[in-house]
Amino acid sequence: MEDSALTYRSRILVIALTLAIAPPLWAEQEKAAKEAEKPLVDLTKGVSFEISPHTGFMGGSGTFGIRLAMNYGTFTFELAGEQVIGKTADLYPLSVNAVLNLSTSGQLIPYGTVGAGLMLTVPSNTIGDETVSTLGLTFGGGARYYLTDVFGLRLEGKQYITSVKADQDQQDELLFFQEVSFGVTFLLQ
Amino acid sequence: MSRLKAHPFLLAFVLLAAIQVLPHDARSQYQYQNSISLSAGVYAASGFGTNPYVAGRYSYFLPGRRWFVEASLGFSSLQSDVLETVSQAQVFETETLYTYEFVLAYDPNPLGLIPYITGGVAGLNQGGQNTFSAVLGLGKRIPLGNFLSSDQFSFRYDVRDQIFSQQINNAEPFVAHNIQFSLGLQYYF
Repeated sequence: MEDSALTYRSRILVIALTLAIAPPLWAEQEKAAKEAEKPLVDLTKGVSFEISPHTGFMGGSGTFGIRLAMNYGTFTFELAGEQVIGKTADLYPLSVNAVLNLSTSGQLIPYGTVGAGLMLTVPSNTIGDETVSTLGLTFGGGARYYLTDVFGLRLEGKQYITSVKADQDQQDELLFFQEVSFGVTFLLQ
Repeated sequence: MSRLKAHPFLLAFVLLAAIQVLPHDARSQYQYQNSISLSAGVYAASGFGTNPYVAGRYSYFLPGRRWFVEASLGFSSLQSDVLETVSQAQVFETETLYTYEFVLAYDPNPLGLIPYITGGVAGLNQGGQNTFSAVLGLGKRIPLGNFLSSDQFSFRYDVRDQIFSQQINNAEPFVAHNIQFSLGLQYYF
C-alpha cells in the first residue's frame, strides 16, 4: 500500500516537473524556429543605407566605381560614380538611379535600374584637348547576394546611352556603351 | 635592431615564430570584422626604379576569418636616377604615382605560418595617366597580442604584383609588372 502511494506521488512529481519544464522548452524551440525563418536581409524594416564598390568592364576598358544607396523596401535611390580607364581618355559617368528591387527579403535580391546623369570624358595623354561633358541615360539589371546581414556580392549589367556632336557635320550622334560590373556591398541598417 | 630593420623577412619570421611559442590566444581577434592598416615599403615601377611607398588599407573579414576583402590607396613616385642623369628623358608629365586596389584574399591558416593570397584589380595613375591592372600577391597578418596589452593590433607584410599593359611613346605595348613590398600595422575594430 505504501509502495503504491510512493509510486503515485512519484508519478505526480514527474508530471508536475514535465509541465514546469515543457513551456520554457517549447518557447526556446519556437524562438529558434523563428530565428531560422528570419530572412538574412529584410529591406522592408525601415530605411537602410548601402555602399557598393565595384569593378568591371565597359567595352574593352576596365572600370572602377562606387554606388551609394538608400533602400526604401521595393524602391532604392542610388548615386553612382565610376571611372572607365581608356587608352586615350578616361570616362567618368556620374548618375542618379532608381532601382526596383524584385525581392525585398532573403539572401538574393534581383533588381532593375534606370538612371540619368553626366558623362565626363577626360583626355589622358593628348595635349590641348579639354574635358567633354554630355548627358546620358542608363538602364540595366543585376542582383545582390548577401553572405551575411551586412556583407554581400553584387553583379550588374548596364547600358549607357549618350549623345555627342559628330566633328564633321555637327549632327547629334547616339553612342551606346555596355558595362558589366562585379563588386561587394555593405548594408548598414 | 638595425639588423632587423635591414631584414624585414627575418623580422616577419621572428614574429611568426612568436605566435607559435607564446601563449597568447590570438583567436580573440576573430571577434572583429573590420580593420584599417597603415603600411610602408618600397614600390618598383617597371622601368622606373624603386621608390618608397605608403598605403592605407581597409579590410572586411567574412565569418570564419579565412576570406576578406580589402581596399587600398597607396602613394609612391616614378623618380628614376637613370632616366634623369643618363638619358635625361621625361616619359610622364609628373613623377607622382598613386594606386587604388580592390582585392579578395584567402587565408588558409590565419594563425599558422602559411601566408594568405590576394587577387584583384587596381587603378594605377602613373604621372597623370591611368591604367587598369590586375593584382596578385601574398601576405601575412601576425597578431601582436603577445607584445601589446591589446588584441586589436597586428603586424602585417604584403607583396603584390600589379600586372598591366604598358605603352610608352607609341611603341609596342608590353606587359609590365609593378612590384610592391610593404610592412604595416593593422588595427581591428
